[in-house]
Amino acid sequence: MVDALAIKGKRKKTTSVRLEVKPIELPDAPPIDTKYFTIYLANPLNSGESTTLEVLYVFTHFLEPFPAEIAQSESQLVFYNDTALILSPYHIKQQTTFIKTPSTKVESFIRMEPTNRVGTEIKYGPYEDRPPYSISPIHVHFENNSPFAVVEELVQEIEISHWGNIQVTEHYKLVHAGARHKGVFSRVDYQSRQSSNGASSFRYLLARLPPRVHSVYYRDEIGNISSSHLRTDSLKNGRRFIALCVLNARCFDYSVANVVSSFMIMHLHLNAAFAIIPVEAKSELEIEPRYPLFGGWKATFVIGYGLPLQDFLFESSDDKRYLNFTFGCPLIGMVVDKLTIKVVLPEGSTDPSPVVPFPVEHHLEAKYSSLDVVGRTVVVLEKKNFVPMHNSHFQVYYTFKPIFMLAEPLMLASAFFMFFVACVAYIHIDLSI
Amino acid sequence: MFKVAVTLVVTVGLAVCCAVIAVLIALVASSPTKGWSGRSLSLLDPTYASKYIPIIASVSEHQPPTWPSYFMDINVLAFLVPAGIIACFLPLSDASSFIVLYIATSVYFSGVMVRLMLVLAPAACITSGIALSEAFDVLTGSIKFQLPGVTSNAEVDAGETSSDAREAQTDEVKAEKPDDTSKNRPSKKSKKKERELAENPPAKATAKAKAEKKRLLALPLEASVISLLLLVVLGAFYVVHSVWAAAEAYSAPSIVLTTRSRDGLHVFDDFREAYAWLSHNTDVNDKVASWWDYGYQTTAMANRTVIVDNNTWNNTHIATVGTAMSSPERAAWEIFHSLDVKYVLVVFGGLIGYPSDDINKFLWMVRIGGGVFPHIKEPDYLRDGQYRIDSQATPTMLNCLMYKLSYYRFVETDGKAYDRVRRTEIGKKYFKLTHFEEVFTTHHWMVRIYKLKPLKNRIRGKAKKSKSKTSSTSSSKRSGTKKKNPWQ
Repeated sequence: MVDALAIKGKRKKTTSVRLEVKPIELPDAPPIDTKYFTIYLANPLNSGESTTLEVLYVFTHFLEPFPAEIAQSESQLVFYNDTALILSPYHIKQQTTFIKTPSTKVESFIRMEPTNRVGTEIKYGPYEDRPPYSISPIHVHFENNSPFAVVEELVQEIEISHWGNIQVTEHYKLVHAGARHKGVFSRVDYQSRQSSNGASSFRYLLARLPPRVHSVYYRDEIGNISSSHLRTDSLKNGRRFIALCVLNARCFDYSVANVVSSFMIMHLHLNAAFAIIPVEAKSELEIEPRYPLFGGWKATFVIGYGLPLQDFLFESSDDKRYLNFTFGCPLIGMVVDKLTIKVVLPEGSTDPSPVVPFPVEHHLEAKYSSLDVVGRTVVVLEKKNFVPMHNSHFQVYYTFKPIFMLAEPLMLASAFFMFFVACVAYIHIDLSI
Repeated sequence: MFKVAVTLVVTVGLAVCCAVIAVLIALVASSPTKGWSGRSLSLLDPTYASKYIPIIASVSEHQPPTWPSYFMDINVLAFLVPAGIIACFLPLSDASSFIVLYIATSVYFSGVMVRLMLVLAPAACITSGIALSEAFDVLTGSIKFQLPGVTSNAEVDAGETSSDAREAQTDEVKAEKPDDTSKNRPSKKSKKKERELAENPPAKATAKAKAEKKRLLALPLEASVISLLLLVVLGAFYVVHSVWAAAEAYSAPSIVLTTRSRDGLHVFDDFREAYAWLSHNTDVNDKVASWWDYGYQTTAMANRTVIVDNNTWNNTHIATVGTAMSSPERAAWEIFHSLDVKYVLVVFGGLIGYPSDDINKFLWMVRIGGGVFPHIKEPDYLRDGQYRIDSQATPTMLNCLMYKLSYYRFVETDGKAYDRVRRTEIGKKYFKLTHFEEVFTTHHWMVRIYKLKPLKNRIRGKAKKSKSKTSSTSSSKRSGTKKKNPWQ
């Protein structure tokens, strides 16, 4: 159950200080299936002092749809299994857990006194004086109709061409990972009474692309899919500011479907913190698969676009170039089970080295494209269980001598030259005896 | 020794050839149509297909063409071809007689089957090319002849001889008139003729005769220039029309329909939507039954096995599918179950007005099915000889599978179940499906996919018998329950 990847971002109350997190192995731990992470505090803590930490866990495939198969007119109910007490190797003096559900429809939940339910919030606690490694399993069975869109496999190929263009091609395998659809699909019900029919299905997906994107195409194996809209921001100065309200208390981020993000804190803080975050101009691509996706239905498609090179390729200090790109899936709020990013470096580049802020598997391949003699180096990065919190930048460093840019034009020019010389020679040489 | 070997080889070769020819003759003679296939026989006797093989008659490309389709396909050539035929006769050589035969037979056969317009096209191009070339010859010749300062008549090479050239002039004028092209006009040649005769010392008689023949054929300068320009413009219009016809009529992908409305282009991508759904959301081994028009598309895009496809190779198999579509639900279920079909695909254009849907093709399904299975009779589906689906339709029509699968829950779209293609409200509006369930309908209702419901485990009312039959296969169940409907 806890085989998901957890990432951490910690902030103190007013100053957000990111603390380092490392996974460690505890050999003498109790035999529960757990993973351990060490958080390194900013300043060493003397006895009698206290500090506030905020820990963010993200789990994928955590909500279990129950019933596993639903008809078109039923709404989706899921199970959330957890413990009321935090699993912790430390002695717990006092703990409260809040669980926030997306709507007020809760089928059932296990009571663990003192338990209280108000509206969309279930409060477990406060529990006092618990020994370390104590757990008390609870589950909540509630209605969750948000689209459970999961990308089973995403292969993103970024091709760098020093002639001024980066071509990105993405191959998606999309599946609806919620309760499976059984029985009849009635189009007339779906079109007429949309609120009660197909509540857990989804039709639209939003992808965020960098600004100044061009030549966007959206197709699948059969052909072009015509149902898509591209909106590009036409802001010249490229900077916008939005206010983001962060409630650093408990909540389910229910707009991101089967990703559970639970903020759990040691002490109760109910303050709302406002953060002004600068946002770059973006292009938005709204795509619609050929048919609305119900539980268990699949769709595959390819999105491709071109980007100007100067936004993404920079020179580093030691005469190397590096590509600065966003790691991840342009589709907003999507969980990717297996993400593969291939960065195709131009011909003649040497010494590739990726720098990614979190652990990924990487290896090198070779790709033969048009007019290639030695093949292009491909840096392949693979990641399992990718969530939108991972959306950070990564860099790929490589050395490239500018003289190699002339390789292809010279090759073409010399080929034609040889051909014409051969023609001229053939016409003028007299081969008769 | 060598001669013996040669004779041996030659005799063996001859014997083998004779044997092969004998086998071929035997094969041809033993077939009922003496080796002619159904399609080619229907060329000789256009009523053959509709009497014996309705599937050939059902293909729309096998119908006789309408008059406008000639103009659409060969355009300007339609009136240049007769001129070309006449031009082929002057003079009649081997090549030109071949052209005449070619054009005559291809015109006849294209009149029988519109598909053979393909054969008419090259013949029409050749003959009209001949006609145009003759016209250009005359016009350019007359322009060249009348250009100022050109003494072309003196350099004419020797042609035929003519002793009484002058007296024959008037005769020749009369004789040449019907031979000229339609753009011939009376000319004012007399002045020119006398001037040239005067300045031309008596040269050879042949040259003179040739010159005078040419003079007679010469049209006035302005007329020939204008006619030349008009002919070039005619050619240009022909090119424009051909490009337009190729773009609009022959390149339209019939799988993606587009209409232009006030707010731009509206795309009906329902076929690809249905095929994509089939390819992603069904099992790889599932079989899809539909009418044969969609066979290749389903195989290519949905990647599923179909029962019949565009090859139309097995007439009995197509007739089986046609019978299933024309039967009531239970009989159709049994036929499809015996074919191991899981999904049935139906094309329905009633919601948006798409005219080539399965209800319009349904009578052909009845005819083809009835050609092999005699219990399907076409008059059962017609009321007073008319094909209807409204309240006046026959009960057989209202209960057949095609009707039910096309109009299932159609009344819930607009409350009145108005079919935009047939322009009427349908007859039976409220009904349930007992043996099929709807698994997918596309956005504009153009493709509807149904799944065969599996058999129930128990048969009500036959509890004692079913216990002993629990181990029997479903086929024995089907044969043993003719009296009681096991699905109710």
